[in-house]
Amino acid sequence: MANIFPRGSNWIPIKLTVISSFIGLAIFAGCWYYLTPKYSRVGYQPVQPVPFPHDIHTSQLGMDCRYCHSFVEVAAHSNVPTTQVCLNCHSQIQKDNPKLKPLWTSWETGQPVQWVQIHKTPDYVYFNHSVHVNRGVSCVSCHGTVNHMEVVYHAKPHTMKWCLECHREPELFVRPVAEVTHLDWQPPAKAGESIDDAQLRIGTEIKQREHLNPPDKNCAGCHR
Amino acid sequence: MSKRVFHHPPEAQSGRKYWRSLGQLEKTPEFNRWLEKEFPQGAAEFQGGEVSRRNFLQLMGASMALAGLSFASCRRQLNLVPFTKGVEWSIPGKALFYATSMPARRGAEPLVVATYDGRPTKIEGNPTHPATAGASSIWAQSAILDLYDPDRSRDFLNKGQKSDSLKFTKALDEILASGGDGSGIAFLVERNHSPTRERLRALAEKKFPKLSWCVYEPTGGISDEVSRVAFGDGILVTPQLDKADVIMAVDCDFLSNSGGNLDQIRQFSSRRKVSATDSKMNRLYVVENRYTVTGGMADHRLRVPASQAGAFLAALANAIGAATKNSELADLAKAWSANTPFADGDKKYVENWVSVSASDLLASKGKSVVLVGDRQPAAVQLLGHAINSALGNLGKTLIGRRTIEKPALTIEQLAAAIDAKSVKALFILGGNPVYNAPADLKWAEKQATVPHVVRLGYHEDETSKSEQGTPRVEWHVPMAHFLEAWSDGVANDGSYTSVQPMILPLFDGWSELDLLSIVAGGQKPAGAELVQETFGERTGGAGDFTAAWAKFLHDGFIADSAPAPEALSYKGSEAAAYAAKAGPVPAAAAGTFEVVFAADSKVDDGRFANNGWLQELPDPITKLTWDNAALISPATAESLGIAEYDLHMRVKRITIKAGEATLTVPALISPGAADNSITLPLGYGRTVVGRVGRGTANLGTGFNAYLLRTSQNPYFVTGATVTPADGMYEMGVTQEHASMEGRGADFTREATLTQYNIVAKEPEGTPTSAYFQKMGMDAHNPKNVSLYSHPPLNSPTSIDPHAWGMTVDLNSCTGCSACMIACQAENNIPIVGKEQVIDNREMHWIRVDRYYASENNDLKDPELISQPLMCQHCENAPCETVCPVNATVHSEDGLNVMAYNRCIGTRYCANNCPFKVRRFNFFDYNQRDVLGHKKGHPFTGLYKWNLTSDKGMPDTLKMQKNPNVTVRMRGVMEKCTFCVQRIQEAKITAKAHSRDTDAIPRVPANAFTTACAQVCPTDAITFGDINNPESNVSKIKADARGYRLLEYLNVSTRVWYLARIRNPNPQMPDAGKLGAFIHPAGETNEAATPTGGHS
Repeated sequence: MANIFPRGSNWIPIKLTVISSFIGLAIFAGCWYYLTPKYSRVGYQPVQPVPFPHDIHTSQLGMDCRYCHSFVEVAAHSNVPTTQVCLNCHSQIQKDNPKLKPLWTSWETGQPVQWVQIHKTPDYVYFNHSVHVNRGVSCVSCHGTVNHMEVVYHAKPHTMKWCLECHREPELFVRPVAEVTHLDWQPPAKAGESIDDAQLRIGTEIKQREHLNPPDKNCAGCHR
Repeated sequence: MSKRVFHHPPEAQSGRKYWRSLGQLEKTPEFNRWLEKEFPQGAAEFQGGEVSRRNFLQLMGASMALAGLSFASCRRQLNLVPFTKGVEWSIPGKALFYATSMPARRGAEPLVVATYDGRPTKIEGNPTHPATAGASSIWAQSAILDLYDPDRSRDFLNKGQKSDSLKFTKALDEILASGGDGSGIAFLVERNHSPTRERLRALAEKKFPKLSWCVYEPTGGISDEVSRVAFGDGILVTPQLDKADVIMAVDCDFLSNSGGNLDQIRQFSSRRKVSATDSKMNRLYVVENRYTVTGGMADHRLRVPASQAGAFLAALANAIGAATKNSELADLAKAWSANTPFADGDKKYVENWVSVSASDLLASKGKSVVLVGDRQPAAVQLLGHAINSALGNLGKTLIGRRTIEKPALTIEQLAAAIDAKSVKALFILGGNPVYNAPADLKWAEKQATVPHVVRLGYHEDETSKSEQGTPRVEWHVPMAHFLEAWSDGVANDGSYTSVQPMILPLFDGWSELDLLSIVAGGQKPAGAELVQETFGERTGGAGDFTAAWAKFLHDGFIADSAPAPEALSYKGSEAAAYAAKAGPVPAAAAGTFEVVFAADSKVDDGRFANNGWLQELPDPITKLTWDNAALISPATAESLGIAEYDLHMRVKRITIKAGEATLTVPALISPGAADNSITLPLGYGRTVVGRVGRGTANLGTGFNAYLLRTSQNPYFVTGATVTPADGMYEMGVTQEHASMEGRGADFTREATLTQYNIVAKEPEGTPTSAYFQKMGMDAHNPKNVSLYSHPPLNSPTSIDPHAWGMTVDLNSCTGCSACMIACQAENNIPIVGKEQVIDNREMHWIRVDRYYASENNDLKDPELISQPLMCQHCENAPCETVCPVNATVHSEDGLNVMAYNRCIGTRYCANNCPFKVRRFNFFDYNQRDVLGHKKGHPFTGLYKWNLTSDKGMPDTLKMQKNPNVTVRMRGVMEKCTFCVQRIQEAKITAKAHSRDTDAIPRVPANAFTTACAQVCPTDAITFGDINNPESNVSKIKADARGYRLLEYLNVSTRVWYLARIRNPNPQMPDAGKLGAFIHPAGETNEAATPTGGHS
């Protein structure tokens, strides 16, 4: 009896198995990578050239965020302090601490300290710090409780969906402008009021009083 | 149910028509096919010679596979790098503005430059300078690209060998030491009006008393020499066009960008801003041989060959002399009696034209002005001065200003000195004499005979080395850009301006002043000292020098520093003697042609040939990119048998023989040009030039018209013979691009001043008051019905208080196209190269449509009207409804926004856009080598897609990019955003300012504007918040002239155009055809036609 199928067709099941397992593997790997916090870099905690403990400086010493991130209220970019700013204090305090050696090297050579960037918005997103901190969005809303981090890590996902949660309902997040850099601030709850309800009450008040109107459907608010 | 098709009403076959090209006028089948297609045949196909579609698909497959493996989204570690020490004024990521000025031929142009983190990114006019008030020219706009030109000269070269500044300084000392009393030293420089340069020149002359100083500007003209004869030494004559009611421009393109004349353009347009409250307007008569932007603005225009401008002026002088009983005029005019201006041989028409315009000038004595082109022969220009003197215009519409420049040698005199072997050391600072000196001087050979030639050059160009790479100079010194060096200048209004560096020289270049100070003083000084010394001398050193200097740098100029005008008294006898010696221009022999050498509107005399933005900018009149061509009138083309062309603008070529020289150039038919007069723009056909100037690999850029130009005939040559040459030449002409299905003719609206005054006085609500809104299609088509409903975007209850809108005043717009370059600089718009322009793929977000208007298909003498067209931000945007991925949507403040990251490139939106303002990035124009120069790859230029391709742009060009605008990639649709980055910045500032208050954050009226509105020399474009009654845009759009495009389609655009108003003299023979109340569709709207206008 003549062969109905050519000889090569014997390989089809094997080929199909191999190919489909490859495709399955690719889908699995894709999901693993893109649908888990790894993609949004939550938890990313690189080693910095100087192990700057945010918790000591802010929580223990009571320094304000804006002492170092001085242009956060006027510029889109929240600046990293210059070597000069660090040495304002450290030329007096702990000046022989070996951990500060990169600072002194930078000061002597004029070469800047190469801090490792943790939070990165894509090039097509034009995030502006000044408009957020001047309108009652606290640092903690996007960066987490940096004041309790010995080593700073990426605390929030920074995806567009996550941005829009606040842009659509800012009353759930905003606080009085004076409290923006007080990362441990809690909405003062009235008797019998939960924290969430207090936030909603205060947030709504602020939203109405200050006419908060973040771009929630205007793509050009962030993409230009 | 059948599909609802909108049937466009047919166009009338007679009456006034608006057309962009001969093809459109003649309705060739090719043009109609073009209209139906968004892009030319095959443009959306993959067609490069290097790679086939099949190849491409294979490669795409391969690269997809690799992309899967490489985890495209993996993020590398990035660093944040702060300053070590804080820098004064600098806020990371925020723009810092410095005042400066750009040296130009006619006077410095006051500017303000935006810098981000130490790199200049955008140049704007200085808004505080009274003469220019924030306007800037296309050359100032594009100077930022020159700064980052990767082909800039980078090294000190000694006979072509790499050297350094120390060795050069040593060699320079030796050269100067051998100079003795300076009799062997010569300088060849360009005009730049720098007082410090003049001071250093004086110092150098003190050290070397016999030093020769030559100033050469190939397209600079001789008006200063002429005014020296007419009014005395050192007097420059400047028109005061805001004081002139009647202007007669004879071969004088005073509205064009000619380097530093923005104040003139502003003065002129200030008299054309008609409104209901100010219904007066100046009147402009233009006599010229081809259409220029000045001719486009004319109320009356006469075509006269450049060689006959003198004859025209003589006829005018006769008429005015007879009326004013001024015998001087008649005497001057007598020499021209053998010579009459002609147009189509219609003598009577011209005579009538002359006499009526003369009486108009006479009727406005002291308030009129006659402007004569500064490159016309001296005898012609003196006629103009004599007429102005007879009309009593001196001191009123023309004022004198004493120049700081001392007399200098001409290039002919310098060439004679070189021939006499008396020049031992020649310093060529800037310029490019080997390329642009008169051909009869044979400058390259002359330069080779000088023992020491030192060249300070921005590029290694023709003057520095030959085409084969052999050095032509002993030393080539890289020149610093004006944004990298200290200097100063004098603006066209006489005010003293600063030039300060905002970045260290990228390639360690030297400025002119650096080199001159070594010659004058022996050492290279540090920084600002040279200019400070001049500043001290000028200000007298009284008071606090440091504070005065800081204020000077901060403001960019010294207020009221212009010297008082000099009294002008016309020296009739000297002028007559001079004119008699020079003699009239002989009438051209029958059967011969005149050739006019014009400075190019974009690359000027060739100095900007390596600037891609300028190369790709369509010429304001011809809409030609990347090329020059011989402009000939339709009748001349007919008589030469070269009237053929096709839609790809493959045109015939002609060979021009003038004197000994011949040149074969493509001939472009130019409606409105004088017959038998051929215009050749200079500045193209460079041989030793950077990548851009060389053009795309298989299509060069233009032809060198300097080869025909001699020192006797620097501006025009008569008696040339022309023969048709073989072969066709393909040109990138954009006049038919984005033809908008033929609806475009409905877009421009115009009327006469008389008619406007009737309409403007009409109470609102009457049919006549809506005259401008109900023209053309809008006169008889009911508004379309929108299928979609949305709340009105500009209602007071909208959640955003702003509603952005724009007005464009067609009465002010000259079509100069500065807006296109400003937009390109602001919005990171790439160039695409000539091949891609031919395929209709240019990326400009704003374009300037040029229409000719004529009756009865008249090609010879049409009128011209320019219209800038950008995204109209329709409230009922047709593009938005067809996007399958919501990549283009509407914002609350009324913008039609593009989310590039959503765009998948279906191009449905562009197809559905009635204005054809959307641009598709077909290739990765920003990242790819659009000119295809890189060799040694299997796939070159654009058609490199994958593994073997070079990607990325030169580092220096990256520095130019505006950090607030996305650099778009391939496959993404883009278009005008109304400069959304500026809108957002203004809104963010307003929000930050209302911190902790209960005020509604609102951008104040006129707080900012778009790049195109900011640059506009005539303030034709205004941008702002139409919800704010205080904003300029709200006030302007309320004018009776305001209309929106395609109202009958109910797209509800956010751009209001203001109709063009012409101010014809009813007595003129050509008055009837101007601004007639005839609609483009050929129908008059009886109800809306006011009486009293021209019929």
